Amino acid sequence: MAALLTAQTSDYSRPMAVAMTPTEDDESLWIRRAQRGDARAFEALYRMHLDRVYGLCLRMTGNRAEAEDCTQEAFIQAWNKIRKFRGDSAFGTWLHRIAVNAVLGRIRKSKREQDRIQAANELSSSPAAVADTGELRDLAEAVDRLPEGARHVFVLSAVYGYSHDEASSMLGIAVGTSKAQLHRARRLLAQQLGEEGYES
Amino acid sequence: MNTEFDDKLFANAARLAKDIAPERDLWPEIADAIAAPPRRRYSPYWAQAAGVLLLVAASSMLTYVATREDPVIIERTVPADLALQTASFGGDYELSSGYKLARTNLQAQMDRELDKLSPAARAGVEQNLRVIRDAITEINAALEQEPGNVLLQELLLRTYREELAVMRKVGGLTQDVMSRNDI
Repeated sequence: MAALLTAQTSDYSRPMAVAMTPTEDDESLWIRRAQRGDARAFEALYRMHLDRVYGLCLRMTGNRAEAEDCTQEAFIQAWNKIRKFRGDSAFGTWLHRIAVNAVLGRIRKSKREQDRIQAANELSSSPAAVADTGELRDLAEAVDRLPEGARHVFVLSAVYGYSHDEASSMLGIAVGTSKAQLHRARRLLAQQLGEEGYES
Repeated sequence: MNTEFDDKLFANAARLAKDIAPERDLWPEIADAIAAPPRRRYSPYWAQAAGVLLLVAASSMLTYVATREDPVIIERTVPADLALQTASFGGDYELSSGYKLARTNLQAQMDRELDKLSPAARAGVEQNLRVIRDAITEINAALEQEPGNVLLQELLLRTYREELAVMRKVGGLTQDVMSRNDI
């Protein structure tokens, strides 16, 4: 196994050197060390999963600043709960659940905040679409314009591949609601993308 | 909505980037947050159980103290000859249970208040009650002999009302002295 934790500093704000692509064994080791309170091991987990967690938050919120806040909140929550992680699911899935909760918690905070986010979204192009190219960018922008409930289900199900059982559990909704929201998302996307010649 | 569209939609959705790098490093704020001393958190279940236990203990203690103190006060403050006697009204009549309860409560209140009086005032009250209760005993005895004597009945009733008035005055109560109908 590669020597991944090479930094010899207690300054957690300094990025830790990562020698090579981490493996599942590395992840298990970091998890065990993080569970014993090793913040540097947790930083390694953060760097391993950051992009996927941030990607999920960005696609769910459609706002860069909100996605950053949700990502940070998710990792802080993960640190606080990591001793309870028993490996029943993959660590990444466990992190995703926490991230979805962070997004939903933030949305519930206040209607005013949602209005502000909505206004910001209308002023700027889709931040998530920057990561995509060609016709995928059209799709990403259309997904960003979906209503909140439909967008959340579509992102979890169609983009990240979670089943309706998993998505509904993450979102705290019924499986039937998840299916209905996905159907709604598909209909709305058809309207948007059909008008732009997506089908041709 | 056609199948061709669905297939393309979901195929493309699955190809959307899942890993997106943030524009800045988010770790420093996370590091600050997790480096801070963790706030001490109690399990809600333990906190609830502790709260219930504390409440039960406090309630039990209060009940114990309250029920323990009353007899102590009575024993300390009331002379034996002034202890409340069972109220009676000759041999042929029964005093109402409401009256008996009110009289007992007034006695308990008066006993508590007697301690607060000056020795002279307390002696005066005890003397008045002693006279009144002696009178009640004597009139009751006479009524045993002449149960239909209206004068004795009125006299006993008035004497009971005087007793209540004394106890009410000492106890600082505001209830009206009971009328004949109450008794």
